Amino acid sequence: MENPLHPRKVKIIKLEKMSGNFSLFRLKPVGEKLSVNKDGLFFNPGQFVLAGAWGYGEAPFGLASSPFELDFVEIGVRKVGGVTAALHRLQEGDEMTLRGPYGNGYPVGFFEGKDVVMATGGCGIPPIAALIEYIIARRERFGRVYLLYGALTPKDLLFRERYERWEKSIKVILTVDKPLPGWNGHVGLVSELVKDIEIESANTVAAMCGPGPMARALENIFRPLGIADRRIFVSEERKMSCGIGKCQHCTTGEKYVCTDGPVFYYDQVQGNWD
Amino acid sequence: MPKVISQSDIPNLLDHLKKTYDVFGPRKKGQEIIFDKVEEQDKVLLNYHTTLLPPKIYFLPPEEELFKVTNGRVQENEIQEPFIVFGISLKDLAAIAQLDQIMGKKTADAFYLNRRKLSTLVGISETEVGVPPGGDLILEKVSDREYQALALTAKGRKIASLEFFKDKEIVGKARPQESRTKLDEMILDSELIAKAVEWSRENYSPIWERLGKTCLGCGICTYVCPLCYCTSTEDKTSFDRSVCARCRKWDACTLPGFAKISGGHNFRPDQKERYFNWFYHKFVRAYKEFGQVQCVACHRCQKYCPAGINIEKVLEEIIVAFQKAQPVRKF
Repeated sequence: MENPLHPRKVKIIKLEKMSGNFSLFRLKPVGEKLSVNKDGLFFNPGQFVLAGAWGYGEAPFGLASSPFELDFVEIGVRKVGGVTAALHRLQEGDEMTLRGPYGNGYPVGFFEGKDVVMATGGCGIPPIAALIEYIIARRERFGRVYLLYGALTPKDLLFRERYERWEKSIKVILTVDKPLPGWNGHVGLVSELVKDIEIESANTVAAMCGPGPMARALENIFRPLGIADRRIFVSEERKMSCGIGKCQHCTTGEKYVCTDGPVFYYDQVQGNWD
Repeated sequence: MPKVISQSDIPNLLDHLKKTYDVFGPRKKGQEIIFDKVEEQDKVLLNYHTTLLPPKIYFLPPEEELFKVTNGRVQENEIQEPFIVFGISLKDLAAIAQLDQIMGKKTADAFYLNRRKLSTLVGISETEVGVPPGGDLILEKVSDREYQALALTAKGRKIASLEFFKDKEIVGKARPQESRTKLDEMILDSELIAKAVEWSRENYSPIWERLGKTCLGCGICTYVCPLCYCTSTEDKTSFDRSVCARCRKWDACTLPGFAKISGGHNFRPDQKERYFNWFYHKFVRAYKEFGQVQCVACHRCQKYCPAGINIEKVLEEIIVAFQKAQPVRKF
């Protein structure tokens, strides 16, 4: 039996600093290739991996690359703890460990034929970036597609070099809390961008990912847009450790974020006591 | 015909088993009874109440190196030697049977399963066994100096076929029944406990406020519990950095940082939430996931709680309050 906790060896083939404490790591498997799922993809957008380095440990990361890409994967690493600080000391060519993908991901099949509104903030964007890549690759299968993305300052908006390409296929709406000189976009919370969105609410799905405050902001975005709770898909953030539903670190109510999630429809997790 | 071993032959049996296997069993250490490697077979206790730590230590050790990396070469820690855990109580056997189900559920924990595959579990009971709760072989006391072998698996039959076991008709008095505690009775109704504990969070919250203040957040209740299995994994590196290991060790959901994520947000910031979560997992999430509460009424948690929390009384209070709050059905 293959041990699900045994990580594969990957090599950092590209490091891209996206903000002061956030870098995109491009990881290529060493030896064995990435396996594919039943759709012929390495992962489903919204799934996560446990990545790390020997001697430093593992941490959960949402996959940010295109799911169609089978040569490498990308994860966004924000320097916030012991493991991520250690990862930030690594350089191109260094080896890391990777296992997964884990969890369900966004139900992209269900999204087909519908308008899609994605909303996220700050460093919550990696899984949404993968979802955008998926949608763009199969653009004709989806209706109107919006990305609402907010960050503290324009410097904290991640994946900036992708916006131009994304905008050719979807509508990208950006906002910052604190503008810097030269910023011509919106200022204010993501939830204030609702007025710019034209959708057929009865046939719209919403996808979001983000830290706690962002999840609360959802009440102010998707509800006013008239999107049903069961069509709002939230990627939950927890301390996934084993990835296989055993260690209990990622539970929320009766659910395991690592195996039942990380993507839940809103009323599955709404009101969960933890 | 039943296979029976005389009490005086048990040290000989252990001696024999020790030739081929590592054998672990209960013995006295200071004021406590612990599971330990059997060196002197006559020190193995046949009649005892509970050990300090449950036999889960042999399948989910307090700390284990999952992987070891030496100069870049990754080695998976896979123990090879078969071993026997001797003298397990019926309650601990029941707990292991549940742990097997938990760890074996897809996606299974390969380290746990490997240890279980290599292990043989020998239970022992002073009282009537009734429905065997698990294990490979159970020694059921049938007279003052004799135990009957109840072999449940091929591994158990192998031991029971050794010369120490004689074919013998069992005659005489009925065996004593195990005395049952309130907690034993309560855990028979998993559904009621699950409903009551879930109900209590909002409808009987003062108890959680109170317990949140009483609980010291030390984690002892989870370490001594035969059915707690929270773990954390972290790497260790040798001083010269040539060797590193990915280590998994017991964690406890009652410890402050258990649900804290990088960046500092804690999904259970107060002891009250963490203590409730301990109950919620055992009695609600477990019931929803496996149809059974994860408690075998061994009473270790209350025996070793330094704050004196008695979960039997806590559960009883919650269940009584829950039942009182149910509307009376009129026909």
